[in-house]
Amino acid sequence: MTSTFPQVGDLGIATQIDNFVYYLNVNFSSAFGLLKTILLAYVNFLQGILSFLPWWLLLLLIIVAGKKLRKSWCQGLVLAFLVSLIGVVGYWQMMNETLAIVLAAVTISLLLGFPVGILFSIIDDKYFLPVLDAMQTMPTFVYMIPAVMLLGPGKVPAVLATVVYAVVPLIRLTSHGLRNVDAAMIEAAQAFGSSRWQVLWKVQLPQARSTIMTGVNQTLLMAVAMVVTCSMIGANGLGMEVLIAINRTESGRGLIAGLCIVIIAVLLDRLTQGLVVQGGKRT
Amino acid sequence: MKDVFFRVEGLTKLFPVGFPSCPTKEALQYLQAGMSRTELKEKHNVLAAVQDVSFELKQGECLTLIGLSGSGKSTILRCLNRLQEPTAGKIYFQGEDVTAYNKQALLNFRQKHVAMVFQNFGLMTHRSVLDNVCYGLEIQGMSLQDRYDKGRSMLELVGLTGWEKEDVNRLSGGMKQRVGLARALACDPDILLMDEAFSALDPLVRNDLQFELLCIQQKVGKSIIFITHDIDEAFKLGNRVGILKDGKLIQLATPEEMLAKPKDAYVSKFINSVDSSKVVSITNIMEKPAALVRVAEGAHLALNSMRINGVSSAYVVDDKMQLLGLVTLDGVLQVLDNKQSFANILIEEIPVTDTPDQPVRSIMNLAVHAKYPIAVTDKYNHLRGIVTKAAVLGALCGKQQDGESTS
Amino acid sequence: MKKSSWLGMVLLVLLCVIPLLQGCGGKDGTTPAAKIVFCDAGWDSLRFHNAIARFIAKYGYGLESEELKGSTPVTYTALLRGDADVYMEIWTDNLATYAKDVESGKFQVAGVNFADNRQGIYVPRYVIEGDAKRGIAPSAPELKTVADLAKYPEVFKDEENPGKGRIYGAIPGWAIDEIMYKKFKFYKLDKDFVYFRPGSDAVLNAAFTAAYDKGEPIAGYNWEPTWLSGKLDLVLLADAPYEEKAFQEGKTAAPSVPVTIGVGKKAWQSYPDFVKFLQSYHTSSALTAEGLVLLSEGKLSYDQAARKFLQKHPELLKKWLPEEKRAAVEKALREAK
Repeated sequence: MTSTFPQVGDLGIATQIDNFVYYLNVNFSSAFGLLKTILLAYVNFLQGILSFLPWWLLLLLIIVAGKKLRKSWCQGLVLAFLVSLIGVVGYWQMMNETLAIVLAAVTISLLLGFPVGILFSIIDDKYFLPVLDAMQTMPTFVYMIPAVMLLGPGKVPAVLATVVYAVVPLIRLTSHGLRNVDAAMIEAAQAFGSSRWQVLWKVQLPQARSTIMTGVNQTLLMAVAMVVTCSMIGANGLGMEVLIAINRTESGRGLIAGLCIVIIAVLLDRLTQGLVVQGGKRT
Repeated sequence: MKDVFFRVEGLTKLFPVGFPSCPTKEALQYLQAGMSRTELKEKHNVLAAVQDVSFELKQGECLTLIGLSGSGKSTILRCLNRLQEPTAGKIYFQGEDVTAYNKQALLNFRQKHVAMVFQNFGLMTHRSVLDNVCYGLEIQGMSLQDRYDKGRSMLELVGLTGWEKEDVNRLSGGMKQRVGLARALACDPDILLMDEAFSALDPLVRNDLQFELLCIQQKVGKSIIFITHDIDEAFKLGNRVGILKDGKLIQLATPEEMLAKPKDAYVSKFINSVDSSKVVSITNIMEKPAALVRVAEGAHLALNSMRINGVSSAYVVDDKMQLLGLVTLDGVLQVLDNKQSFANILIEEIPVTDTPDQPVRSIMNLAVHAKYPIAVTDKYNHLRGIVTKAAVLGALCGKQQDGESTS
Repeated sequence: MKKSSWLGMVLLVLLCVIPLLQGCGGKDGTTPAAKIVFCDAGWDSLRFHNAIARFIAKYGYGLESEELKGSTPVTYTALLRGDADVYMEIWTDNLATYAKDVESGKFQVAGVNFADNRQGIYVPRYVIEGDAKRGIAPSAPELKTVADLAKYPEVFKDEENPGKGRIYGAIPGWAIDEIMYKKFKFYKLDKDFVYFRPGSDAVLNAAFTAAYDKGEPIAGYNWEPTWLSGKLDLVLLADAPYEEKAFQEGKTAAPSVPVTIGVGKKAWQSYPDFVKFLQSYHTSSALTAEGLVLLSEGKLSYDQAARKFLQKHPELLKKWLPEEKRAAVEKALREAK
């Protein structure tokens, strides 16, 4: 009773896509070049700031941030201690490179994801949800190889790949948070003559703040999760270190570099959790 | 037309329910041709929530609309400020057609001329009490200082001075509705729309707010459309009352006229129905007895208890909280003087009721003749609380009892 | 439960059970034969050789086979542990522990697959000679050796580091990558160039392809045989003649890496006849490249490419297989797919 599925082949779609990428590469190189220049400038700018800060100042900033956001000196000190370990094992410069890419990707995600999330809360988004699913599950290399061909390997496609993956939780949670605001509150706001924009700004956003901050937190963590994939597209930093270790089966080295990535994730997670908690309270 | 303050003509609202449903324009035609509401729903999956309702609101009057759930009253209210868009019909305010307003005119109408108070309060939990009250003024674009001044005066009007900076979540139901009322009044609207505004509050608080609304109405003379399903409330508050059934306005008249000349059997039945869940029951006015003695023989205990609580009688119960009787101060003093035994001074014949869930009026007779507070027990003679004469009288008169929680 | 739910449950169970029932029991109820496991570390030429060996295993020796996929270190470890049986292309210089493992007998080496491959720094031909048909002028006409690169940093611009040139390195973690880096420093290229780690061979190839399609200059590590080296016209930059110690320090050209065939200890004992075939299995860089061209140009599957290749090279079958096995394989090739 065995039967093989009747095959037709991909109808030449694969070849057409190849041709399309070739076409873009040859004919639009200046447009892509411009995009690349802008993104590169941004990442380099962030990296410049991080490299410019002396290490003790960065640690101090972490301690202060811990106090402000988490309301405890203890947390700030613990976080600063963990980050200093990265420097102790000699990965400080690499950490800066990785942080630059992560922060660039996260800031771009915020710029894009936030308005899109607001849009999705208004329109019927059922056609777009599969797009979001695809962004999170499509294997990165599938769209990254064309991106590398169009933009060159290195930081730029790495940032883009991270954005594609990490922006999704922000969009979903922003949309979700805005949609789930108490209907009675929104009705009251409308009854008193609020415009659409006023309802959004004065009622929905303040009410959804906690959920949106959770989205930011998730975006940050997803960006860190992409660090090793980014190294496979040519981005330097801790991810590259992990990649080398993997390829050489040097488990110890891989573990240490991996732990440094974990420490960065913990740092960013704890600090933004502070913002989530504050968002929940009434200001 | 300009002197007509507020008039509704032929208001109709249709909702598609279920799938597939015919387009509302078509359904409207069927309705106008005389199809019944049930047939429209079953054959075409369209619900006629409101059918051809017309009425006029005079300036300064309070018009209450009552009906069961599903009678369309909430929908009508929401059509008046177009939170729901009417399917057909016209709404005239000071000569202008509200249904024809464009977006800007509609916003203006909602900001300046009409305000709403909601059953579930609709307060914004991320704002302080004062900021909630000032919301409408903020939308109008009033400056911060001006609107805070107005807000404060509104809070004074509803009796919440001093609560400006509080977190809305910490307020009781009654207080929240006062804020809702203050918010609506702050905009100085021509018309106040109240959607079952007091239905989510418990009976004593509701009575309180009804009374306050009447007082405020006397002061500021707003025109009000008030929706409720409680006939007592409708009659108490309304200058005129309208009864709705299945989306149609059956009768619109003053309470007196309606009681004297109900239009049909439905109206008659409606007026005479008593909503038992909203009637004050004994448990609502019961209090825990302060002076309580648990041991069968305890004159000293009884005396001490009475002394501490400043009363002249104490209830005596056994270990299982079963009521044994009452002792008075005199009786206890006699025991302590060794003139009487405890058993002798124990008064067993005291007014008792063992049906705490019954309405207060059921113990009216008992209260009139009682020398002591009425003990309330369950079916097994466990003491649940006591009811003083004052409490009974207070409940029957609809005023809050001294010492009860503020609302 | 409602009737419809019961029905649904029964159908679901049936759907799951029926295929299982089919799977149980071979044609005569015996247990299925053991399969030879081939390592598939992802690159095309390895898969191509796998396809050839598996075809011969099936039709010459009646052996079923399957592939174990993973990265290089993972599949190599599988071979050592006995989870995999055959590795058709072990690039001996890329595995740090290769020599030690062979010596301690962790696995057996059947022979050399090919040993005439090349690797090093490549540039597209049009960079040196220009390409009249595409209208590209030569941008580095004097470029002949790796050392010459130092003269042309502005030709191989690095956009991420303005003012410097870029040379693509090898895959990070490969042993050859360290040597390339040492070479880079030895020729003082670190003064004006950036050694860019591409992260993966997919990216390296994408970079080359993109530049080639646009006609732009690019310089970087690559190796033959690959589909890339088959498809693009690349020139290997010359270097000092090979010498073992100097090579390790990056001073000379790369030697041809002996690409060997590894067989797991268990398989070595279990399939003596098949192992004999593997010991006779020799190809060359050119032959492998031919296979790769078949794959990419004809868009064939690995199995189809293997068949076509074998049909074109009956002399190889003569060399690898004893008479009766060869006949069986040739018969299978003749039968239309």
